[in-house]
Amino acid sequence: MGSVVIPHLVTGWHVDQAILSEDERLVVIRFGRDWDPDCMRMDEVLYKIADRVKNFAVIYVCDLDQVPDFKQMYELYDPVTLMFFFRNKHMMCDFGTGNNNKLNWVLEDKQELIDIIETIYKGAKKGRGLVVSPKDYSTRYRY
Amino acid sequence: MASRRDFLSQKAPENYVAGLGRGATGFTTRSDLGPARDGPSTEQIQEALAKRAAQLGAAPPTAYGAVDKKKPEQDEEDDERFQDPENEVGLFAYGQYDQADDEADRIYQAVDEKIERRRKRPREAREKEELEEYNRKNPKISEEFAALKRNLATVSDEDWANLPEPGDLTGKNRRSKQNLRQRFYPVPDTVLAGARDSTEFQTSVQDDGGQASADNKDGTMTNFADIGAARDKVLKARLDRAAQMDAGTGSASTIDPKGYLTSLAQTELTSLAADVGDINRVRVLLESVCKTNPKHAPGWIAIARLEELAGKIVSARKVIAQGCEQCPKSEDVWLENIRLNDNHNAKIIAANAIKHNDRSTRLWIEAMKLETDTRAKKRVLRQALDHIPQSVLIWKEAVNLEEDPEDAKLLLAKATEIIPLSVELWLALARLESPENAQAVLNKARKAVPTSYEVWIAAARLQEQIGNANKVNIMNRAIKALVKEGAMLKREEWIAEAEKCEEEGAVLTCGAIIRETLGWSLDEDDDRKEIFKDDAKASIARGRYETARAIYAYALRIFPTSKSLWFAAADLERNYGTKEALWQVLEKAVEACPQSEVLWLQLAREKWAAGEVDDARRVLGKAFNQNPNNEEIWLAAVKLEADAKQVDQARELLATARQEAPTERVWYKSAAYERQLGNTDVALDLVLQGLTSAVVDKKETRFPRSAKLWMMKGQIYEDKGMMPQAREAYSQGTRACPKSVPLWLLAARLEEKAGVTIKARSVLDRARLQNPKNPELWVESVRVELQAKPPNIQQAKILMSKALQECPKSGLLWTENIWKLQPRTQRKPLSLEAIKNVDNDPSLFVTVARIFWSERKLDKAMNWFEKAIVLDSDLGDTWAWYLKFLMQHGTDEKREDVISKCVTSEPKHGEVWQRVRKDPKNAYLSTKEVLLEVMNQLEAKEVIS
Repeated sequence: MGSVVIPHLVTGWHVDQAILSEDERLVVIRFGRDWDPDCMRMDEVLYKIADRVKNFAVIYVCDLDQVPDFKQMYELYDPVTLMFFFRNKHMMCDFGTGNNNKLNWVLEDKQELIDIIETIYKGAKKGRGLVVSPKDYSTRYRY
Repeated sequence: MASRRDFLSQKAPENYVAGLGRGATGFTTRSDLGPARDGPSTEQIQEALAKRAAQLGAAPPTAYGAVDKKKPEQDEEDDERFQDPENEVGLFAYGQYDQADDEADRIYQAVDEKIERRRKRPREAREKEELEEYNRKNPKISEEFAALKRNLATVSDEDWANLPEPGDLTGKNRRSKQNLRQRFYPVPDTVLAGARDSTEFQTSVQDDGGQASADNKDGTMTNFADIGAARDKVLKARLDRAAQMDAGTGSASTIDPKGYLTSLAQTELTSLAADVGDINRVRVLLESVCKTNPKHAPGWIAIARLEELAGKIVSARKVIAQGCEQCPKSEDVWLENIRLNDNHNAKIIAANAIKHNDRSTRLWIEAMKLETDTRAKKRVLRQALDHIPQSVLIWKEAVNLEEDPEDAKLLLAKATEIIPLSVELWLALARLESPENAQAVLNKARKAVPTSYEVWIAAARLQEQIGNANKVNIMNRAIKALVKEGAMLKREEWIAEAEKCEEEGAVLTCGAIIRETLGWSLDEDDDRKEIFKDDAKASIARGRYETARAIYAYALRIFPTSKSLWFAAADLERNYGTKEALWQVLEKAVEACPQSEVLWLQLAREKWAAGEVDDARRVLGKAFNQNPNNEEIWLAAVKLEADAKQVDQARELLATARQEAPTERVWYKSAAYERQLGNTDVALDLVLQGLTSAVVDKKETRFPRSAKLWMMKGQIYEDKGMMPQAREAYSQGTRACPKSVPLWLLAARLEEKAGVTIKARSVLDRARLQNPKNPELWVESVRVELQAKPPNIQQAKILMSKALQECPKSGLLWTENIWKLQPRTQRKPLSLEAIKNVDNDPSLFVTVARIFWSERKLDKAMNWFEKAIVLDSDLGDTWAWYLKFLMQHGTDEKREDVISKCVTSEPKHGEVWQRVRKDPKNAYLSTKEVLLEVMNQLEAKEVIS
């Protein structure tokens, strides 16, 4: 449902333009496939928070089958991947998972996602390239 | 904002490469997913462009190379590497192209191809022409000889076979070939041996000549040892010569200027003679010298020597004869003349010479030497004495020639009459006379030469010989007389004289000299004591013990109550004198200073060491009389009994001591003694008694604050296996004496042994609170961490860094850090840092030595061990490490040396050393046994760590 409302980026050029067009806000792009159940869950959350974060972040979705150009560059092999950009800079975030480049699991807690986006935005405004996520998502303690 | 987001509704440009427009860079987190990429690569872009073009159904757009027409073979040949950098193609290959660009490219290409086609034929023709022209100008060699080669077809097989070898017509290779032909062989040893023997004089007769000749005959047997020995001999001779030269002209501080100059002149002359290379030229030079200045004697001598060197002895004689004519008053010329002539002529020349210089002692002596039989010599000397009666040298020669002592005496008497000021002659005369007459002679001599101290010393020695030394105090008179004459020597000179007397066996005279002169010219104050001590030490260093003894005797007469002097005197006797003398000195010493317990103890120990236990007991009894209730003497007495294995007596003594002189040490020693004997219960009882508090006559008689007693209490419980009691004892003890580090350590170790690391930690923490900046506690804390199970290295490192901040100067901490907490590679740099921080610490030096040892730099290791020992010989661990090192890498003598040095220096400290020494099991071990035990323990420790 969410993927219908969130703007889609249909070519590599659009992706690039989306990233380049924002000067003051964080650009959040969800890479995945609209029909994928994981993506659907993620999109639902994104759709719900989009309005609440609109002052400091803009959210897009991008279908990997439609735009395969970034697959290799950004290692987009997971079903759902959330990436953050600020002023044409790829923002990294230490989630504790070992992969600081992207959020590659489904995060269904809205407040947590807002917190993450806000933290990244704050770090980006301070000129950081890497921020530490407010919560540790390490899977270590799950087992 | 809205305008910028319009892109969503716009169409993407053709041929757009994703990420290119914004210079995106990728990342690699997992290498198994794909290769590392920094954005789209050039290949990727080109590939993308080509794909896009293919989709559009057009040729791939490249700048000016719309269709790459090169064939693959050419591609390989014309690699990118060989591309002209000035003329790069594809510079704009990575830009963005649209269809308009492409069209333009294609049009340009078409034009180019057209022009190419049109110009093709004329160009090809021109190129061909140019090639032909070039070939004509630079023909190939094979083509040049083509005509000649054609003739080769007519050469028959036979002719081929008979072709001559080419000679070396150019001479280019001649030298290298000669070098090949010329070869060098090592000189065989037989030749060397032959060369050696050719200049050797064979002075000894070979008894097994047959065998030797047999050996020599077949020449194959070469004695290499002989060759080596010969070379050594040559080297030795050279070194000797060098040493002599050094001694002669070297930097000795006392140089007789006249003698120095003459010796220089001599060396100049001889070296001149030796170094003259071009004799003819030098001859011309010297002749011109003699011609211009014929009265210059050295010129004549030089020319004569030159002739002699040239082997022309006759002309040398002629020249020197001329020289004698020219300079008849020069002794040197005459002497040279005499030297150059043989005996008969020499005599005539000598007579001539003396005619001209009848007062020259040297010429007379030379003349005397020319005579062969004694009577003739005597005659010459008589004549000489007629002419120069004041010459001591001639008188002496004359006396030497006399075989009969009576004649000699007569001569000397005469001589002393004529030359009364010559002390030498007087002394010679006195030596010849009988003792009684000698006295008279010396008296006369004294009157004649009142300023001569030699005569006085000779008189004193004479008295000693006769045996009157004690009756007549000659030196006393001597000093008075010499003072009156103002000819008193300095103190140092007198001491030197005394030492000379001692060397020649006149011990009493030596003593007398010291007695009379030692205090001379010194102020009457206490500085004298130091001066005397220095004098004695210097004499001991020179090996003149009698002199030193005399000095001490004198000093002790002035300062009879000086303990240090008594110690020094006792030391002298102990090291260089007899046992009896030592006892005597010590007995006198205790008489003089009865309050000095150390002297009493020394005496007792000497007696005891000599096996005279009863005497030792008596000495200690006397010591008690003089110093009632002295703790030291009590304990010495106990030790004496304990060593003599008189258990009951020792116990009794200790009990009395506890009654009479209840000090902390007495209590402790009593308990320790019982513990040594294995009576743990008695010991415990004693300890408990000692720890109760009681005050008698306002004096403490029990010691609840004695750390040692608390320690012993804990240890006894520990030995018995009563851990709770031991713990209780330690905790009480640490409360009573919070400043006692060993007590804390014992408490911590008890916990550690019980396996309660946490408690050990807390004990040490409390200890550190009470005793800040104490390295031993820190080290123990670190060790607790290291020995915990499992070892907590991280915590140990943190503790160590804290410790080093608190005590940066502790060698102990550094040692622990370097050995236990650092990887091997870090040890050396860290030790360097440690040495920078801690200047001089023996345990650190040992650590450095061990590092070197582990790197097998043995010399350096030994060096550092020595340094450590020099720095603090009281540290037993250092000795043990050194010995351990020597066990692996040292010689037997070295080991013995170290052990004996260790025994003499009697080390008392050191971590392991103290542990071993204090162990009740080892109570009766000697220092050497303890040393070996410590060494073994070190080894065991090393295996663990």
